[in-house]
Amino acid sequence: MPHEMTRRRAILAASAAACAAACSLRPAPGREPLVSILKADYGSGLFDAVRRLLVEHKVPLKGRRVVLKPNLVEYDESTAINTSPKLVLAVMEACRSLGAASVTIAEGPGHRRPTWDLAEAAGYFAEIPEFEKTFVDLNLDEIEEVRLPRPAPDLEALWLPQTALACDLLISLPKMKTHHWVGATLGMKNLFGLVPGQVYGWPKNILHWAGIHDCIVAINSAVPNMFTIVDGVEGMEGNGPIQGRRKHAGVIVAGADRVAVDATACRVMGIDPRRIRYLRMAQDAGQIEDANIRQIGEPVQAVRTDFDLIPEFRHLRLAGA
Amino acid sequence: MHEGMSATVSLLLAAQNQDGAWGFSRGSSATEPAALALLALANDPRARDACARATSWLVAHQRPDGGWAPRPAVRQSTYVTSLALLALDGRTERDVLRRGAEWLLRQTNRDSSLLHRARMFLLGAKPDVPSEQAWSWFPNTAGWLTPTALAMLALKRWRSDAELSAAAERRLANGEAYLWSRLCRDGGWNHGSSKALGYEADSYPETTGQALLALQGTRDRRLDQALAAAERHMARCRSAEGIAWLQLGLLVHGRAMAGIPAPSPPLRTIPEIALSLLAARARSGDHAFSEASRAA
Repeated sequence: MPHEMTRRRAILAASAAACAAACSLRPAPGREPLVSILKADYGSGLFDAVRRLLVEHKVPLKGRRVVLKPNLVEYDESTAINTSPKLVLAVMEACRSLGAASVTIAEGPGHRRPTWDLAEAAGYFAEIPEFEKTFVDLNLDEIEEVRLPRPAPDLEALWLPQTALACDLLISLPKMKTHHWVGATLGMKNLFGLVPGQVYGWPKNILHWAGIHDCIVAINSAVPNMFTIVDGVEGMEGNGPIQGRRKHAGVIVAGADRVAVDATACRVMGIDPRRIRYLRMAQDAGQIEDANIRQIGEPVQAVRTDFDLIPEFRHLRLAGA
Repeated sequence: MHEGMSATVSLLLAAQNQDGAWGFSRGSSATEPAALALLALANDPRARDACARATSWLVAHQRPDGGWAPRPAVRQSTYVTSLALLALDGRTERDVLRRGAEWLLRQTNRDSSLLHRARMFLLGAKPDVPSEQAWSWFPNTAGWLTPTALAMLALKRWRSDAELSAAAERRLANGEAYLWSRLCRDGGWNHGSSKALGYEADSYPETTGQALLALQGTRDRRLDQALAAAERHMARCRSAEGIAWLQLGLLVHGRAMAGIPAPSPPLRTIPEIALSLLAARARSGDHAFSEASRAA
């Protein structure tokens, strides 16, 4: 009986072809991206752990203007939507202790306009001393038009906030979550929060119409100096990024190569990064392949915590649970 | 004038930029804060000069297509056109307003297009695609609650216009249908997505207030449920913007504020300051968005 070319078969065939193409990419010898996985909780050891991590990765901080970009979306105490303010505080203090000239916390939520109130509900005022002086609402910031170095097919330029454009280093602090449109939302997708609502609205729907995967890659191309620290202490599984369930993974995943970090975080979540389209598109040296990443700290196998996937994304499950 | 209102007026006057407009906080001028500040300061004798300068700024920045951009440097008219029209109503030549209203009438949400709906049908998508024409934040994108509610408020003022009334009425009816189609399970509204992949979502305070404002004069059995949702939000809302929109929405439906706690969160942005002044004015009987007040 001849094989029928169903849509599912076509997708799997395309995925296999893309995976094969990805495998042919390799970083230059000795240039493999470094990614750390740390077991962590939100307790008192967080500052030391983050500081060690920044030192280990030789993150250039002395005299630099640093922007911390957490993920603030909505508040629901029954689940884990937003980056923990305890982690944001630990990173802020670690950056200061390592000589950063300034550390600003900045975010532009995609659904709700009252950003400050969202930050208050998410515990940022309570946890972070003088939060009001350190925070910038990127939705209402001064803006500048940027030609995207790697444009999306329908998006060649974007207005972006000056706070993000003027910094020396942006530290993406995403929450480890499943995402009902792209599979997983981590450090790269977190940059959607840079897009100013004052121009594009709440939600920033232009990014959806221009293709989410293309836009993730496009926006990341406008932010060259970035370090990623994924808050995987408590993440979200199921119908993320808002309506899913809290999932304890007990880890932080970090590194300077955003593709390698997100790919590693995917593996921790039990998701095959080679099946996440924006990661395949963004890699330029095979960084989604396990073999091409120099991973330190805990091995993935020791901390892998499969996040529940909605039926539409069950095909993303990483083999070998 | 109430002492608190007087202080808020002073705050706004002190924050006006040299060019006559306002930024979102202390920054460069933008259409949304300028329009909201102008609306809030209207009728205040201390603000006559400030209002005249703000009016000039807004009129000078109308784009050739009749709409307004969020900032002068952005080469695209957007949702802020509705706010500019509301703020300039009665303050400038009819032709300026007419061109703005015509721009609004030309805007539809991309997800209502026949092409998009046919594509979704062929892909077997669930029927979450609206046929109602709503308004988007940014042209050529989907319809959402806030831009739809603001456009409806602006277009209500064209119901009696000889040339635009028919088109305005049609779009207002479509807008109303869109709003009801986006009602959340708790009776209020969120940003405009009451379901995501079949999962029910809950409402927000600010958008519930905006929808109620846009639905003034409506008689629908679901209105009581929506007003109850707004009152529930009002009792626990800590957001200045949320509280202001809720008050504006409840008052326009004749709901009294007595007995509803009104917390006083800090006012950080010009839109928050302006909205809080608009709500205070509405509580004292001067409701800037009330069609009944305008008719009287």
